[in-house]
Amino acid sequence: METTVNHIVVVPYILMEPLIAAALIALFLRRRHNIAAVISVLAAALICFRALKLAFTGLRFEGGFEWLRLGDFALSLGVKYDDLAALMLVIVGVVGLCVHVFSLGYLSHDHAKARYFGGLSMFMFSMIGIVLADNIFMMFIFWELVGFSSYLLIGHWHEKQSASDAAKKAFITNRVGDFGFLLGIIWCYYANGTVNFTELAALGDKHALVFSTAIPLLLFCGAVGKSAQLPLQVWLPDAMEGPTPVSALIHAATMVAAGVYMLCRINVLMVPQALNVIMWTGTVTAIYAALCAVTQRDIKKVLAYSTLSQLGYMVAAFGLGSLATDQEGRTMVVAAGVGAAMFHLTTHAFFKALMFLGSGSVIHGCHHEQDIFKMGGLAKKMPLTFATFTIGVAAIIGMPFLAGFFSKDAILYLAYANNRAVFAVLVFTAVLTSFYMVRLWKLTFLGTPRSEASEHAHEGGLTLTAPLVLLAVLSVIGGYTGIYPKVFNGVFELIPEAHGSAHTVIFATSLVVMLVGSGLALTLYNPAVTDSLEQKSPGLFAALVALKNSFDRVYDYYVAKIQQRFAMLLNFLEQIFLAGVIIRGLAGLVGLVGLGARALHVGNLNAYVYWFLFGAVLLWAYATGALAF
Amino acid sequence: MNALPCTIYISFLGALLALGAGMRSAATARVVALLTALTSCTVTFYAASQFVPGPGLQTLIDKPWIPQMGIHYHLAADGISLTLIVLTGLAAVSGILFSWNIEERAGEFFALYLALIGGVYGVFLSADAFTLFVFYEIAIVPKYFLIANWGSTKREYGAMKLVLYSFAGSALVLAGLLWAYAAGGAHSFGLGELAQAAAHFSRHEQLGMFALVFLGFAVLAGLFPFHTWAPTGHVAAPTAASMLLAGVVMKLGAYGCLRVAMATFPVGLAFWSPLIAWLAIIGIVYAGLVALVQQDFKFVIGYSSVSHMGFVLLGLAAANATAVSGAVLQMFSHGVIAGLLFAVVGRMVYERTHTRQLADLRTMPLHRLMPFAAMTFVLAGLASMGMPGFSGFPAELTILIGAWKTSPKWALFAAVGVLIAAAFTLRVMQVSFFGTTEGTKPGSIPAHHLDHPMAPITWAERAGALLLIAAMVYVGLKPDILLNWITPALQSPLFQTALKGGAS
Repeated sequence: METTVNHIVVVPYILMEPLIAAALIALFLRRRHNIAAVISVLAAALICFRALKLAFTGLRFEGGFEWLRLGDFALSLGVKYDDLAALMLVIVGVVGLCVHVFSLGYLSHDHAKARYFGGLSMFMFSMIGIVLADNIFMMFIFWELVGFSSYLLIGHWHEKQSASDAAKKAFITNRVGDFGFLLGIIWCYYANGTVNFTELAALGDKHALVFSTAIPLLLFCGAVGKSAQLPLQVWLPDAMEGPTPVSALIHAATMVAAGVYMLCRINVLMVPQALNVIMWTGTVTAIYAALCAVTQRDIKKVLAYSTLSQLGYMVAAFGLGSLATDQEGRTMVVAAGVGAAMFHLTTHAFFKALMFLGSGSVIHGCHHEQDIFKMGGLAKKMPLTFATFTIGVAAIIGMPFLAGFFSKDAILYLAYANNRAVFAVLVFTAVLTSFYMVRLWKLTFLGTPRSEASEHAHEGGLTLTAPLVLLAVLSVIGGYTGIYPKVFNGVFELIPEAHGSAHTVIFATSLVVMLVGSGLALTLYNPAVTDSLEQKSPGLFAALVALKNSFDRVYDYYVAKIQQRFAMLLNFLEQIFLAGVIIRGLAGLVGLVGLGARALHVGNLNAYVYWFLFGAVLLWAYATGALAF
Repeated sequence: MNALPCTIYISFLGALLALGAGMRSAATARVVALLTALTSCTVTFYAASQFVPGPGLQTLIDKPWIPQMGIHYHLAADGISLTLIVLTGLAAVSGILFSWNIEERAGEFFALYLALIGGVYGVFLSADAFTLFVFYEIAIVPKYFLIANWGSTKREYGAMKLVLYSFAGSALVLAGLLWAYAAGGAHSFGLGELAQAAAHFSRHEQLGMFALVFLGFAVLAGLFPFHTWAPTGHVAAPTAASMLLAGVVMKLGAYGCLRVAMATFPVGLAFWSPLIAWLAIIGIVYAGLVALVQQDFKFVIGYSSVSHMGFVLLGLAAANATAVSGAVLQMFSHGVIAGLLFAVVGRMVYERTHTRQLADLRTMPLHRLMPFAAMTFVLAGLASMGMPGFSGFPAELTILIGAWKTSPKWALFAAVGVLIAAAFTLRVMQVSFFGTTEGTKPGSIPAHHLDHPMAPITWAERAGALLLIAAMVYVGLKPDILLNWITPALQSPLFQTALKGGAS
């Protein structure tokens, strides 16, 4: 028991260290760029170390204290460190450290390096807060804080109009989701009397939980915003304006996955109707984003849409819900959705961070060229980046025995078992995934250089390559649940595993899917400066582009035409209020204004106010007199 | 605790001293003013440290004033007034620090300023409706002079409009109070006595009295559609006066609504609260949208004030302990945040760039020219958007939670306001401080911005900003420091009756 107490003591450190680093940088080190970077990286290393140590001791605990009491409504802050949190914390720690180290090289000459590293530390603090939160309300607090760190980092190069617009868009779109999230939390509190995860689960065990479709759906709004699900996905592709390591950490591996993590946390509140909505939202996002990815020319945008699509997979997996399995003759209902979603979240964090950092390495090597049609031939120029990126691609398209293969199969199997329509869509999405990923890979690395920039591409230093190697290793082995000590069993035991004929079906399907998608891409795309699909099938290409643009158009229309005009109209009315009513309507008052102005002019200002006081007294006297009767 | 009334006398005395000191030099006047404000601020902090929270007002002084009419000079305090007095102390000190550059007739300026502060302390401490009203009027008059003499943009108009609205409001209050006084048998203006008498009033009387008094006070709190004095007044006012207007004077109105109208006429409250809540919600959303398209930096902040005060009024209208404590917390929080925002806009930015047009500010890389101002504004902006870690978050959250209890629909629509707040705050933050330099040719930036580096931020500005930031963060992290004062105060029989809709 004593050791447990010791470990609770560690928790404030893991949470406060990045905050202290961020505060130090913001207050004292804004111009000491290198010191700031070192402090931030040290904080990240400490987090990684503590997260691993904490996870592998196998100790789990929780506890909290009251922060705000409002009559019968109490908000508390606390820590719930179970297997789920331990797993997520390790992901954040490991990927976070890789990204911090990578940033050292990637932003070595940035003019605002201190601000950047301060932002990263701030992000680590907020993200760890989400992971450790023991209640939805505390999660919301840190949810807002990650939103702010994300704003700060997307807009890092705020001199670029597009970057600062993207930052604003990301923040406000997330706020739209948070609007529902907050109302969901309040509703949940009033319905169940608590928002603590453990207490909610206890109520669920006693069948005392108030079930309603609205509560989980409102809470899901938060995930729709943060995990960029349809229809709030618009901010994520734009967020690629941020520095590439940020995209890897925040917009691929951790923050955007927080929505999925949150859903797993509130699993107990789910009802079938809500799960259905969640499942279809995820499925539609998966296919929509995959279709969009096919036409992208920007290396980061392809990865961004791919992230959207994979997040759709996770959300869909969660929505597919529980699975009845036969264990030793007894039927057990397992929260397979949680297992599959978290498993994919884990492997995705590794291989997507790997590919984003790989793209960062490419962009760095090509002197900030991001158009894949202007690359080519990088395999020879940047062999290490090529090798690791290839592993990442192989992992995401589901190459057997790499990380993505296992987690994707788990999701496909769950879909196969629970909902065949979703299964069909997800399988088609998988075809697209291997299609656009192989397209990206071929255009970037194979063939001959197609521009000056890629001609002179070069591999970066150790800080750029070491994280790639580490993440590549994890992308290979991350799918073998056996490699994890038993400490994450609370999550990994939930992963659905196909047996018998289902196993064959799933294995065959994913193999065929991968071969079809990548084969098509390999044959279709030639190393050229124009898009082969555009030339061979302009109609299809145009349709896909239109599909991608449709959401942005709707939002732009709403912002520019509806909201702006409505606000302008109100402003116009307000001007009438301000000037019109008084000046035109109440001529007498205008006279008074004029009088005041004149009084001021002759220096006898007091007279006017005395008149008013006199009037007030008169009124008072009148009132007393009148009312005395 | 018992020293609290001194804050009033110190302020008035300081006003006289500052006036005298102004004859000698502006520097003496401002030192006198700062010392005065610091002294009364210290008194409030000392009183706060001694304060034992409890239900009901703790009488500080109670002397017959006009015995024939039953008027007492009765000062008292509870957790709610203490919260606002501490706010006044903070706002007064920081306002003087941000007026450090006043050279023109500094003596008069600080005298009026301190007189206004004295009046405000008086209102928050009054336990007699008549005393309260007198202090309320005292607070209005200096506002006019401050704006008309030291203001900017259309100052006479702004000042006059503000005073007209204020007096119209106080006329309504006075009418309502006199009605209640007469109907209660003309014995006393004491708030407790009035409430006792009001229990025997007919329903119609209560409805009418509540409407008069509440509306009268709510005008000053910026209730839609009677808010239009606020943006013009704020914009016209000199920095310190805008800080006080938004920071403290609008709270006078909200405080009056709570202390006088709601506590005295619970039946009226129960009847009118849905209407007030909807007007408050309209105000939140409407002012937010209008702020979104303003071209003048200060107008954005002016409208954001109206929007945030809408939350206060919503909390009051929701009339349950949670919502009302949230409303009081929001009064404090907004007082600090709005003060800071106005300080950045009016003092730090305007007096160096001489423009408040967003289109002009956009062309200046202000975050590089004045990083301290940019940082301060970002912090205040975050607080204003309701970011956790700052006082705005617990305040607005508490109001939403409380409003949900009364009507989930109110919480739903008011939460839209939080969304809009993010939109207009981010817009103005980005345009004014992180304006694009991309695409602007070097020649298009007015030459004087490049030739003369802007005057550095003075120590006074830094001190004032740090004071307010500290308050904003401290309350944001530990809101219970204030809630522990506010919540017990709402347990008093008067408030309990009001919060139960008059069914005692």
